[in-house]
Amino acid sequence: MPAAYLGEFEQIVLLAVLRLGDGAYGVPIRQEIAERAGRPVTVGALYATLDRLESKGLVHSWFADPTPQRGGRSKRYFRLLPKGTEALAESRTMLQNMWRGIRLNKEDSRA
Amino acid sequence: MPDLPPRAAERLVRWLVGGRDADAVTGDLRESFAARGGGRAWYWGQALSCAAVRFSPSRRMLPGLGQDFHYALRTLRRNPGYALTAMVCLALAMGVNATLFSFLDSVYFRRLPVPDPDRIVQVMRSGAVFCTWPEFQSLHNNFRTLQAATQLVAAADAELGRVSFNVAVEIVSSNYAQVLRPGTTIGNWFTPADDSAGGDPPVVISDRLWKQRLNGSPDVIGKPLRLFDRTYRIAGVAPPAFHGALPPVFQDLWIPASTVLSSASPLRVNLVARLAPGATFEQARAELQVVAARLDPNHPVRVYHAKGFLWRNGSKAFMPVIALMSAVCAMVLLIACVNVANLLLSRAAVRQHELALRQSLGAGRARLFRETLVEAMLLSAGGVVFGLIAGYWTGRALEIALPSVPVEMYQGLRFTMDWRVALLLGAAGVGSAILFSLPQAFAAGRTGLNAALKGDSGSARSRQREFYTVAQVALSLTLLIATALLLRALLRVQDIGPSFATDHRLYVSVWASKDTPPDEAQHTLTGLLERARAIPGVQDATLAWEVFGSGNLCAATSAQEAPQPLNGNVVEPNYFDMMRIPILQGRAFLPVGSLHDQPEVIVNQTMARRWWPNGDALGKPLWVGCKTSQRKIGQVVGVARDVADGGFGDVPDPLFYLSRLQDPGNGHFSLVIRTAGNPCLWAKPLLEIAQGGGPHLRVFEVESLDDTVGKSLWEVKWQAGVLGALGLLAILLAAIGVYGVVAHSVAQRTREIGVRMAVGAAPADVHWMVLAHGLRLTAMGIAVGLLLSAAAVRLLRGFLYGLSPFDPLAFATASLAWIAIAMLASWFPARRATRVDPLAALKYE
Repeated sequence: MPAAYLGEFEQIVLLAVLRLGDGAYGVPIRQEIAERAGRPVTVGALYATLDRLESKGLVHSWFADPTPQRGGRSKRYFRLLPKGTEALAESRTMLQNMWRGIRLNKEDSRA
Repeated sequence: MPDLPPRAAERLVRWLVGGRDADAVTGDLRESFAARGGGRAWYWGQALSCAAVRFSPSRRMLPGLGQDFHYALRTLRRNPGYALTAMVCLALAMGVNATLFSFLDSVYFRRLPVPDPDRIVQVMRSGAVFCTWPEFQSLHNNFRTLQAATQLVAAADAELGRVSFNVAVEIVSSNYAQVLRPGTTIGNWFTPADDSAGGDPPVVISDRLWKQRLNGSPDVIGKPLRLFDRTYRIAGVAPPAFHGALPPVFQDLWIPASTVLSSASPLRVNLVARLAPGATFEQARAELQVVAARLDPNHPVRVYHAKGFLWRNGSKAFMPVIALMSAVCAMVLLIACVNVANLLLSRAAVRQHELALRQSLGAGRARLFRETLVEAMLLSAGGVVFGLIAGYWTGRALEIALPSVPVEMYQGLRFTMDWRVALLLGAAGVGSAILFSLPQAFAAGRTGLNAALKGDSGSARSRQREFYTVAQVALSLTLLIATALLLRALLRVQDIGPSFATDHRLYVSVWASKDTPPDEAQHTLTGLLERARAIPGVQDATLAWEVFGSGNLCAATSAQEAPQPLNGNVVEPNYFDMMRIPILQGRAFLPVGSLHDQPEVIVNQTMARRWWPNGDALGKPLWVGCKTSQRKIGQVVGVARDVADGGFGDVPDPLFYLSRLQDPGNGHFSLVIRTAGNPCLWAKPLLEIAQGGGPHLRVFEVESLDDTVGKSLWEVKWQAGVLGALGLLAILLAAIGVYGVVAHSVAQRTREIGVRMAVGAAPADVHWMVLAHGLRLTAMGIAVGLLLSAAAVRLLRGFLYGLSPFDPLAFATASLAWIAIAMLASWFPARRATRVDPLAALKYE
């Protein structure tokens, strides 16, 4: 039984959080997605997704103590929960299964 | 270098996100903003993304609502004619309702335009005024829970430069401004310190007086103003919104009471108070009740929050008008709703195919209805917005027109569009939207999918539209009949007028309170009469219980019979002579008499005819009095000509007169004088005499009889005018409805008409066919409307001045007028039908 169905953007966000480890909060997450996936992400979209993932029990978030360089505002950090890791693994397996035996390249398809 | 993000955008984000997340999100944004090295546009873009998330449909209860919204908006944009017609119909109806709501708001809810209006309380005594002026002076500093000021209104002649004019003066205690804190535009209010200051006393003038009489010039402070035979100096100008402590009555001037009332003056004054800091309303009420009971235990005191109309229970005085206007405005809104419902139905007929297709592809009926509802809400929202604008301008126009009317109650009416009005109108809009989208929901449910997909026109829907048109005609006919009735009543009143002399006559009404011994009251009244006759230029004076109309008395023809309620009047013996009411049989009252006499009775013609049909009323006994144990036996000594009583133009009712010398009445009397010239010049001496009538005498209004007549005529005119305007609006809306239905049926029957013409129908036949369709609907509407009117016009009885509510002329005129309107409304579609080109129509097939 699948843990949870993940949309594409949800997968991207989860992967970004996973890659960043302990340093996963808003700014680096968006940076990571912008650099690796090559698409800019708005704050609104990111937080909406993270909230949804949290309510599904895939990530956990907590507020760190305020730091002076952000105008005294605290950061909200994210970490993957076991259920989140499971869902990612499931998505990957599903995609791999779907991709098996498919070649998109012209040369490949001729071969 | 801009290292701080735009504050407004940041605040917007905080508001949109909310909670602790707001901190994290703005923190993130600030960090990125600094890393980017600025970019206000970028920041605003991020803020908008938060808004999109916040308001996105997926986060709401109803998924797809945004889609519905877009769809409805697109539909409206693509059919601007339809959208505009619907919105204009709604806006017209919403406009009159907005005006009505703002009126209701000021009658019931609006606070005085002063700081902390919630802490102002109004103190009333049932049946009496709070306390006398000396009593107030001794007690006003002793209240613990409130600061109290007094006020008293008076009409007076003021003189500025050499011009004199009539003003409404609020005579107030000098702490008035400290209690109410109304503020000034220029200058200052007087304070208790001014009471002991020498020189001319201060006066504060209203913004209206300042602008009308002094051209709003800023150097008016210190200018002299003559009032009550002394010179005042203008100390300040009140702010435009402040009209005194008795809305809706407009005050022009405020003067300290100490300048007109001596410290021993027994004149009673009203209380207006502000709760002391920290005191609650309940505490203040308790304290006032104790104080009031000590001063006068017979008249219990009532304490209110000051809101709405405070003038003599103004909200009650307006009750009949409010009831009538509310009913009429609701009717106009209903007619507009029916119109829009019709429009929606005709749109649905056009989109039938599309709707059926979607339904067969799985769109639920609920979903389709929601789509209609969203469209309806959009239309309604447009109607409400335009309605508020229309209402604002209507209110402004009324505010400009009303101050010139002769009834002071109407002069100060204000029509402000505030949040309460907007809220109420919004609610009306939502209700209307639901109302006018319902018919389509039912129609959509009934149409068979198969038939609709094949393109058969929904006859059920057309029938439904016809039904609504009939309803519309019926409703607007009711309004038209009501208007016709009022106009007829107006003509009659103007025709008849009061049937006694009113020229050169002035009256002041006085009341000898109940605790006055009857003999003393008689003496006081006789004294008043004598002194009034002694005023230079006064030709005669008389007293009457009621100058206009009559009071309630009882009488019976024998001792065995139970007393019957009857109209009666108690008058001075010279009353008939002075008011030129001829005595047709017998004689008038003798100028002598005492309370212990057997009372003489004079009856009017109607009473003589009905009670003694043989024409032998003279000399007959009449038991007078409402309690069997207390009644006295009197004798009919004369028959007087009928006068219009109760209101002009009334059918005369039986009425009898008693001599004032033999019956004390209930202490209320009007002292009427006949003067040599313009009666208003005698107002001051008359008032002086009335006020000098002794400690038990209370004085009410002074007015010339002609003015009173003018005022009551004005009320009928006003009602007829407003009702007429609303009736016209209703007719316009209903005519649009008839036009829409007939035009739509012509469009749908184009092919049929083409065939008819191809096989030889003459244009005149086609013309008549379409016209007949419109007339058939109208005829049905008129039939229903007549029944509806017969039920509704009873409510008008009080406004008709004796005209029967079933006046056949009014009913007939209104019905004929509607037939003419229906002809006109169907004329244009009919003409279009005759121009159908048979070839083109058949080719279309």
